[in-house]
Amino acid sequence: MGRARDLARYSATRLGLAPLMLWLIATLVFLLLRVAPGDPVDAVLGSRAPAAAKAAMRARLGLDQSLLEQYWSYLNGLIHGDLGQALINQEAVRTIISRTLPASLELSVVALMAAALIGLSIGFSGIAKPEGKIDFAGRLYGLGTYALPPFWVAMLVQLVFAVSLGWLPVGGRFPPSLLPPDGSGFYLLDSLLAGDWQALRGTIRHLVLPAGTLALLLSGTFTTALRLNLRRTLRGDYVEAARSRGLSERQVIVRHGLPNALLPVLTIAGITVASLIGGALLIEVTFSWPGIALRLQEAINQRDYPVVQGIVVVIAALVVLVSVAVDLLVAALDPRVRY
Amino acid sequence: MASSGRISSLDPAQASTVNTTQLISALGDPLYRLRRDGSLEPRLAADRPEISADRRRVTIPLRTDVLFHDGTRFDAEAMAFSLRRFLRIGTLSYVVGDRIQAVEVVDPHTLRLVLNRPSTSLEGLLTAINLTPISPTAYADHRDQFLHDRFIGTGPYRLSRFTEHHQRLEPFDQYWGQQPRNNGLDLITLSNSTALFGALRSGEVDLLLSASIDEDQRHTLHQESLAGDLHEAVGPAMEIGYVTLLSNSEPFQDASLRRALAMSLNREEISDRVSYGLRRPLRALIPPSLPGGQRNAWPGHNPAKARQLLSKAGYCNGRQLRFPFTFRSNVPADKLMALTWQAQVQRDLSDCLAVDLDGVESTTVYRQLGEGAFKAVMLDWRGTYPDPEAYLTPLLSCTTVEAKTCEEGEAAISGSFWSAPGLQQALLQSDSLRGTPRQRALQQVETLSADGSAYIPVWLNAPRAWAQTSLKPPQFDGSGQLLLSELERIAAPVREH
Repeated sequence: MGRARDLARYSATRLGLAPLMLWLIATLVFLLLRVAPGDPVDAVLGSRAPAAAKAAMRARLGLDQSLLEQYWSYLNGLIHGDLGQALINQEAVRTIISRTLPASLELSVVALMAAALIGLSIGFSGIAKPEGKIDFAGRLYGLGTYALPPFWVAMLVQLVFAVSLGWLPVGGRFPPSLLPPDGSGFYLLDSLLAGDWQALRGTIRHLVLPAGTLALLLSGTFTTALRLNLRRTLRGDYVEAARSRGLSERQVIVRHGLPNALLPVLTIAGITVASLIGGALLIEVTFSWPGIALRLQEAINQRDYPVVQGIVVVIAALVVLVSVAVDLLVAALDPRVRY
Repeated sequence: MASSGRISSLDPAQASTVNTTQLISALGDPLYRLRRDGSLEPRLAADRPEISADRRRVTIPLRTDVLFHDGTRFDAEAMAFSLRRFLRIGTLSYVVGDRIQAVEVVDPHTLRLVLNRPSTSLEGLLTAINLTPISPTAYADHRDQFLHDRFIGTGPYRLSRFTEHHQRLEPFDQYWGQQPRNNGLDLITLSNSTALFGALRSGEVDLLLSASIDEDQRHTLHQESLAGDLHEAVGPAMEIGYVTLLSNSEPFQDASLRRALAMSLNREEISDRVSYGLRRPLRALIPPSLPGGQRNAWPGHNPAKARQLLSKAGYCNGRQLRFPFTFRSNVPADKLMALTWQAQVQRDLSDCLAVDLDGVESTTVYRQLGEGAFKAVMLDWRGTYPDPEAYLTPLLSCTTVEAKTCEEGEAAISGSFWSAPGLQQALLQSDSLRGTPRQRALQQVETLSADGSAYIPVWLNAPRAWAQTSLKPPQFDGSGQLLLSELERIAAPVREH
């Protein structure tokens, strides 16, 4: 009973702090954009547009108001779920996000699943013989993939598999000769639900290189995390007790070692997927993946304030939500966690 | 067909990027098109414009057999609607605004422009993609605001799908002119040069159109086209690269120092090192292909003369003129140019001159240019329409001059703040003359500009497109637009994707 109450209190505290964090992030983004050089009106109309046209646009966008008025108007919109309109083409920021976020989420989730599969397999494979050749190779893999520069790897992968061998597309998310499936914006899911195998094939072909590259870069983290945690777990008293009860080493590892070693890995996975949503910029740029990070970069270059603000707030909200969810999940799964 | 840079708006009143104007040129028709030989080809106009004796009235007969993609008829009212809308909300309306006083409908198929002053460059202006007519019916709710995700014009293609990264064009079966030679086009956007290069090399796309592909890759594609593995099309060289010097503050208040800098620049070497010779050395502001353009208005590389000028100004012999040179960090060619110039100065004039490089992202550069933030900065310019006026006015025009400093006007916005006695009058006069007198007036403007050296032309860049050999060789028109409707497949594609 006491633990359930503690867990509930912990959850309430974490969730209660989330709006405060979001408000801080939203405020910071608002201020940083206004401090950055570059005029959004110039970005829309060009620096040579007549002064009257510039003034009219400044008034229409509310940029002639005081900073405080702009801030209140921005916060008011945010509270009511209105993220505003892009300055460049007046498209609703919400529409931009709903179009680009699924692309990034799809890429992140597929990459994470592949990274976990590869990374955990390699991490696990060396455990039978610590300090053996396989274990050493696993360590090397973990360190190597972590140290590789993402941009360089992405370019190399692109040049080898798309340009030289021509096995896979160079970039983009979907074959231009086909129309993307209607639905949620998650093309894998939408084409599966629609039973459109041609679309599914096209989606997978476009996903392989960016997701594979991301998976390669992330898998080392999983390898290292699992290896270290598993080794520490296998030195625990309860594992010795299990061995002394006559269980085989395989049973010891699978039943007692692995579940405990995977808990920290779950935290890593949560943080990784959250950071990937907005952080896969280099991959999105290299593979022309029309995700939210690429759109954010374009909006920053154009000084499109509402788009930058909207995307950053949504990414921040997702990061906060995922990290809270992972914390709560770990807390629920691991009785050793205290609050 | 692949290119770089997403298309955020299809409105001709807002179009400014190469990609957007290229797309609009396929979806719509201008009144006139510039042929490669420089002559005007009537498109939606039925004939050449008639100009009144006082040259203040331009009457344009229009075709009678043209339909918009929404099925409504193109006529003088529709053309007037489009021009007036551009004058009201067009982001480039400054290029037209001071010239056109009124747009009049004479009869259903005759349009008249009433001008504030005689303007020779108006003919070139009438080829501008920004003045492409749009359907008044389709744009009824967008008379005073942009319409970004649709385009209802009269062109050989209609738009059947539009996203920022993918546009699909299908032939318009009621097109007044010759039907496209292909069944339609998919235009895709890739976000970096390597992806563009790779997409063409791997056969994933049939055609690559890009002004922003890296120099090494541009060179490789050029070599491959010479070897017959690709087709290469080269458009008229209309983009100039130049250095702007801040003329209203130290050290470049002194015109002799500006001239010394102009002479320290070895354009041929820069062209070779940066672009393998594909960006041609330029010593004039007006591209030489335009009437009135000169080849060598600015002095060539002459380090001895530069040293002489610097010595006279008190430099060399133990005193070095050190200045910051800003380049746009997101433009690789600019960075290479800056590095090469820095090395040239170090090699030829190290005791007199030193260049400190400073990379700044382009949005910031353009924002701060008019504030006089950069002593020396590398920029480029592509005229909105093919006429010398479109190059000289945006760099030199000035409404308020104080001594030799431009306080207000295009020269201030361009970051040089430079003017000279008689320059503004010469500029205005050049636009009111025709033929040889105009060419002489343009030469006078260029001579004054070269003497002032607040701008140092560096290179001239031509648009290029590369196509698979399974296509007929692509072609550009005289305005630098690729003729998409002429693209034709003559063999099976290289590789299926």
